[in-house]
Amino acid sequence: MIAMVPSRVSQLLIPVVMAAIFSSFASTAYAQGDEAPEKTEAKTAAAETAESDTEEPSGIRDFEKWVDGKFGRHVVGPLWTALTFDFGTGVPFVVGWLMAGAIFFTLRMGLINFRGFYHALRVTKGDYDDPNDTGEVTHFQALASALSATVGLGNIAGVAIAVGMGGPGAIFWMICAGFFGMTSKFVECTLAQMYRRVSPDGTVSGGPMRYLYDGLAEKNNEMLRILGLFLAGLFSILCIGGSLGGGCAFQVVQSMGVLKQQIPLFEEYGIIYGVIMAVAVGLVIIGGIRRIAATAEKIVPTMCAVYVVTAIIILITRADRIGWAIGEILEGAFTGKGITGGVLGVMVLGIKRAAFSNEAGTGSAAIAHSAAKTEHPVREGIVAMLGPFIDTVVICTMTGLVIVITQAYDTELFPAHKALIDADEGAKLTSAAFASVYPWFPIVLAVAVTLFAYSTMISWSYYGERCVTHLLGQRFSFPYKILFLGFVILGSVVSATNILVFSDIMILSMALPNILGALLLSGKVRAALNTYWASYKAGEFKTYNK
Amino acid sequence: MSILSPGCVLAPVDFSDESMAAVAEARAMVDDPAKLHVIHVLAVMNVAEPGIIWETIDDASRIEHATKALREKFADATIDVKIGDPAHEIADYAEKIDAELIVLPSHGRNALTRFLIGSTAERVVRLAHCPVLVLKPRK
Repeated sequence: MIAMVPSRVSQLLIPVVMAAIFSSFASTAYAQGDEAPEKTEAKTAAAETAESDTEEPSGIRDFEKWVDGKFGRHVVGPLWTALTFDFGTGVPFVVGWLMAGAIFFTLRMGLINFRGFYHALRVTKGDYDDPNDTGEVTHFQALASALSATVGLGNIAGVAIAVGMGGPGAIFWMICAGFFGMTSKFVECTLAQMYRRVSPDGTVSGGPMRYLYDGLAEKNNEMLRILGLFLAGLFSILCIGGSLGGGCAFQVVQSMGVLKQQIPLFEEYGIIYGVIMAVAVGLVIIGGIRRIAATAEKIVPTMCAVYVVTAIIILITRADRIGWAIGEILEGAFTGKGITGGVLGVMVLGIKRAAFSNEAGTGSAAIAHSAAKTEHPVREGIVAMLGPFIDTVVICTMTGLVIVITQAYDTELFPAHKALIDADEGAKLTSAAFASVYPWFPIVLAVAVTLFAYSTMISWSYYGERCVTHLLGQRFSFPYKILFLGFVILGSVVSATNILVFSDIMILSMALPNILGALLLSGKVRAALNTYWASYKAGEFKTYNK
Repeated sequence: MSILSPGCVLAPVDFSDESMAAVAEARAMVDDPAKLHVIHVLAVMNVAEPGIIWETIDDASRIEHATKALREKFADATIDVKIGDPAHEIADYAEKIDAELIVLPSHGRNALTRFLIGSTAERVVRLAHCPVLVLKPRK
């Protein structure tokens, strides 16, 4: 047992080493990014804030600034440059890739996102739940678990950022991306079920890191097998990054924005919020307190309902403006008036924020959906389609409509909001929109936002841990969790812009390996869908009336 | 007692073919099948695993399933299932049963982990208080 002691010490050192590797990787990318400085978007003026880079930090404020500067200069700026290279088309590569993938899948699967919708509702309701099927949880439970990771500040802050920067038209493109994203989600979750591994202890594990490798290895082509190995590894690394960005720091910085308006102490010292959140998350992911994790996740569907109802109340109080708002959304979508980049700019913003929110195409939710009890992979894929629908078509649209109807995005009417939009403080903008109807609505929002942030972080730490252990083995689970808590605190220190760009890079780039692999395997999914659909139409599936 | 005819032998398995072969080797060393201890070490579950959140699986159910799987493969051996870090659990278990030998393959399931941090076998050699026989794959 003496060996336990150095072993624990080495585990604590690992996150430091991981962080060092991570930042050196980013610095290398920066050196490459330097060659094309004109491509760097104005938004990543992150580097500008790095002027105080070399100064020694003194006091909490200076420390926060110093960390932010470092993060912007060495991590965010260079990666962003590489990923958003547009080949002169005006569409950042990763956005075009996500959308092209979603449209291709939708056509290839014969519009399953529309024709499978009713069936998805019935399966989720439990009509087809056979208790003897292999897996861990029911279809509904798997969907709820996936949603707890998906529904978060992306739905509240991300939408506000999209409307603030791209005008009402961005909502139209978000909804479109939501509809097409349903099929991306269908494909990745079906694949996750097809290639999941059932352990002797009855648990299952699946996700892109499995199907990218096993699926391509199956094709009996050495090149494809190596490609699969590479894609699975790349996905795992990016998913770990995504869990630290969008699944963690982004949730902290945006929820903090809303809470700052209720609790002035956080305005003064944001890091206090970070520490409180880190303790709360640590209790679950390191302390292993299952009851808290279960409560936080199970409450998500209820919080979604509360949020949507609150939004609907706001819409009802301004019912006379709904027609006008829809007009603004449609007009903005096709004219892109007053927006840099015109229609294309609005479209890119909408698609990007939709993908960030519903994660369709990035493969993350496939990890949770692989746990569902079923012998039909296609069935869980069909259930998974409801994810982007609920997340984007319903919840994001609600946020968007509230912001348009209250005109919170209009900086001529509300000059104070310009600063929020410029600083990517999306959640604060949504809060302002809520406050304009009933002054106490931001309190409801603050509660919802904190719970969404918390449950999203817990679920994403699970995705991240799955990838860490897949890549490096079980022993790296603990160091990863320490690193994750570090990013919770980082989220309260680094500026919203740097966090947003970093999170975008990590989450959106997960789509590069995932969609490529899914494209190569889409024939198999199509064949499985055809067989399943034929049996379904022939009424061959047993139903369990509940 | 010589280690070539030991009293009590421990053979950990991860259900890979290599570990199954190691059990067969270990079986040949003992006169009484009950002296062969086969254990499987399960990973600690993440609290956000859907099955844990929705309380459809827990450590007891996992141990039950894994025990059943072991029993089907090794009907007459003494079997046990542990949860934790494999190397530590194997070493601790060997000490507990006073094993005279641990037999395990040099290669387990995860190739990348082995490359980065060494194999479970290497760590067992380091942690165990009894002789460890590490089986290399035959070329």
